[in-house]
Amino acid sequence: MKRVLVKTHELWLEMQMGAFMAKDSESKRVLNEYSKILWRHFTWIEHNIIKNGIEYNYDRDVIPIKVDKLSVLLSDMVHRINDIEFLLVHIDDEALNYRLQRDLEYIKYSLANIEDEDITAFDMNRQYRDIELDEEARGALTLFLFEESYKEYELIMIYNYLQAHSDDAFLNRIFQILIDESFFHLRSFGEMMAEMGILGVPRVIYESLYKVSNLEKFLLDGIEEEIMAKEQCKELSDAVSTKSKELAKFFDFINYQENYHIELMREAVEYYREKNSNG
Amino acid sequence: MSLVVEDELVEHMANPNNYGSLEDADAIGIGENPDNGEKVIIYIKVKEEGSTPKIEQIRFQAIACMTTVVAGSIITKEAENLTFDKVDELIAITLGMLENVPADQAACSEMVAVALRASIDTYQAKKENPNIPAIIYKIEQSCNPNLSTPIIQESEDI
Repeated sequence: MKRVLVKTHELWLEMQMGAFMAKDSESKRVLNEYSKILWRHFTWIEHNIIKNGIEYNYDRDVIPIKVDKLSVLLSDMVHRINDIEFLLVHIDDEALNYRLQRDLEYIKYSLANIEDEDITAFDMNRQYRDIELDEEARGALTLFLFEESYKEYELIMIYNYLQAHSDDAFLNRIFQILIDESFFHLRSFGEMMAEMGILGVPRVIYESLYKVSNLEKFLLDGIEEEIMAKEQCKELSDAVSTKSKELAKFFDFINYQENYHIELMREAVEYYREKNSNG
Repeated sequence: MSLVVEDELVEHMANPNNYGSLEDADAIGIGENPDNGEKVIIYIKVKEEGSTPKIEQIRFQAIACMTTVVAGSIITKEAENLTFDKVDELIAITLGMLENVPADQAACSEMVAVALRASIDTYQAKKENPNIPAIIYKIEQSCNPNLSTPIIQESEDI
């Protein structure tokens, strides 16, 4: 069952990267929708693993995505789906097994109908829209996108792990909001990276990061990190403001979103402290 | 923020060499920044051949910034298939080069170099005691140049 989780994780990420790199809006939409379905598969399989008391982690293989044509990536996705289909025999929950089988069958069929296109997501053009950035601003933006796309993926996985192992409705509501927000940020940054020709799959997360031993400390550190992320957004907004009002406004928008994350995390800390003090 | 990011660095960020873990590693070493808890973990598979052992496979993981990932990608690529003697030279050269680099930038590469040192030392220590946990070396440079901590040796079960 663990193997199904790993393979679904890899397919989800590959599909998400495919959505970032596709330029045709319909292909982008379809790949994005399927990546969301695969993410849900991932969480359901994980729940099944937990129910069966199996130890697991979020380790996975490197996912090669550097292609010249979308069709090459699509056919790799089909291979991955074939592999998962063979492994489904290990899913003992009949309803889940049936759902996964039917979804994968349709996704495989549907991928064959996606139009091929040339991929420029790895050409290192380092150009975003028609905005002329100087070398320093371009460097700062590049580094920011790599740091933050990984960070958003990391947050999705950490909050998902916490949610999967908690039956506390108050905390789970907050975790879900933070997961949804990180999905939005990951998509925003991933699409920018693809347009700039610097797309990369976020690296594998180290186990101790999501197997959180001290939730309060994790949340407090997280608040500090969010404050630093706000500062980075502000610096980036300032660095690009003379060249692009649009880009500066976007980074201000991301910066202001972090305020709500910080507030939610503070609420979570307060709630957790109170809950623990009441035994 | 003032930096120029060359295409070669982008390539290391997008596709870092040797990123990940080795399930059947012969030894693990850790480099840690005591100021902020950032870590580099190096896994090595060693081949005993001739008078000095040789790194057959190497992987790394980083709980750290992207600059550390780039340093890990470059340094572990250099360390592949090197004998321990040559790895010692690589570590010495890396640390020597950092003397002229601002402390906040040097910290990332130093963390990789000391993790590599720790993995080699763990391997040698395991010959005496196979159950010895991964050795941890802490770095001298700091991401915050106002702070500086001497190298401390610890160990950790992984």
